[in-house]
Amino acid sequence: MDATTDGSVFWDQAGNATLTFQHCDECGFVRWPAAGVCPECLGRGFTWKPVEPRGTVWSWVVYHRAYDKSLRERIPYNVALVELTCGVRLLTRLTGFGSADPVGAAVEATFEDIAGTGLVPVFAPAAGGTAS
Amino acid sequence: MTSQPRGAIRGRSAIVAAGNTEQGTVPGISADEIAVEALRLTLRENGIQKSEVDGLITCKSYGGFGIDTEIGRLAGLNPGYSATLDYGTCNFSLHLACAVIDAGLASTVAIVYGTNQRSSGNRFSHPLGRQDEASVYGFLNVAGPAGMAFRRHQHRYGTTERDLGHIAVSQRRYARDNPLAIFREPLSLDDYLAQPYLVEPLRRADLCMISDGGACLIVTSADRAADLSDKPVHVQGIAQQTGLRDRQNADQWMRPWIERVAERIYPAAGIERADIDALYIQDPTSVWVLQMLELYGFVQPGGVGEAFRNGEVGFGGKLPLNTNGGQLSEAYMWGFLHLCEAVRQLRGEAGERQLDGLRTAQYCSTFGFMKAASTILSTDRS
Repeated sequence: MDATTDGSVFWDQAGNATLTFQHCDECGFVRWPAAGVCPECLGRGFTWKPVEPRGTVWSWVVYHRAYDKSLRERIPYNVALVELTCGVRLLTRLTGFGSADPVGAAVEATFEDIAGTGLVPVFAPAAGGTAS
Repeated sequence: MTSQPRGAIRGRSAIVAAGNTEQGTVPGISADEIAVEALRLTLRENGIQKSEVDGLITCKSYGGFGIDTEIGRLAGLNPGYSATLDYGTCNFSLHLACAVIDAGLASTVAIVYGTNQRSSGNRFSHPLGRQDEASVYGFLNVAGPAGMAFRRHQHRYGTTERDLGHIAVSQRRYARDNPLAIFREPLSLDDYLAQPYLVEPLRRADLCMISDGGACLIVTSADRAADLSDKPVHVQGIAQQTGLRDRQNADQWMRPWIERVAERIYPAAGIERADIDALYIQDPTSVWVLQMLELYGFVQPGGVGEAFRNGEVGFGGKLPLNTNGGQLSEAYMWGFLHLCEAVRQLRGEAGERQLDGLRTAQYCSTFGFMKAASTILSTDRS
């Protein structure tokens, strides 16, 4: 993996229960997945900084089939895409929704070890209500 | 960025042959050999000499095969022009062939594709896109993004799983009349709804199969077409649009930017959408059919179930759709067989599935969340 596309800071900081992304030094654009170039202004400088751990659920699915043998023990499991307030779209897992439809719901990050690789962000209904 | 390229290609090139190998499990033959076998069968069935081919456009297949330099060597060709595309669906290959012919780089181009992904064990289990969180969260197979796109669609328009099911059911009905199709057993809407979820809200019938096979098209200039075929199929219009920003595009898996192709393709072909007699939509998942029916304006957003129930689209309806059965029922082939079917229908060679009074067909395809293309084919040179 190129140093410039190395997202390990994100995963390391998730271990500290923090959501951290590259911010462009020139235009401030927050990007994910990690890249060596800002897709807005093409600037090369960046700084990893924490963001507000809140967003909205764009959509979600439930895997009933394991497409890799490492996932056999996990099915059924859900995967969601959350649009963070900082603009990043993040793949994640939802927790705490019960039978409610999460699409469009306001969520906030919490951190769990779902794959035996350490803490990773998952998202639960935000305290204080739902979004659009 | 919003420019409207004029349809410079209109009526300047034509497909003079389309062919394929058997589809399904084809063991004991390499992907590249399957591609060359498709070329051999297509030339032979259409009475075209290999020496006519002076252009070769190949398509990379599973396992890194399908490179032009390898296939040219295997096929014993020294074409004046050759290239390999990293993505299939055949639309991108066809558009390049048209441009190459129009630029005078070659006069007769063979487009070939072969895969042995079934025999070699592909399960489409690689993560899609560049996100490395795909493996952490288990986001594998196109069913993930397609399922999310459908859920989002349901949230926005109230679309039901029954609405979506019409697509797989209609395509299976066509496949029953297609001897090439791999899935030909009956599939009713109730059968569909009784299938278990693979990636909820999607079922087995919403997802394409993994199969081996090869396909080939021969494309030439409209002026030369009559020398090579008495039934050339003319390329009336082509259009493309990309969404290369991928994850940074809003509603990325609903792919709203496909609409740009719809805005360009009909002016490029000099016709109206209502002139389309048969429609082909590349279908790794039924959700992509739903999206393109709407984005090209064939059905109202959220109206897909109604459009099938009212007989506006699909089997027995006003607008035939994927009359080969598509990737969902006929064979994988990364969409190449949609164009083969369109050519056969326009030439009146579709056997039991032959549509009446067909003059114009459209093929719409996408490369994942990155690229979209469409072609309008016609029996007439415009």
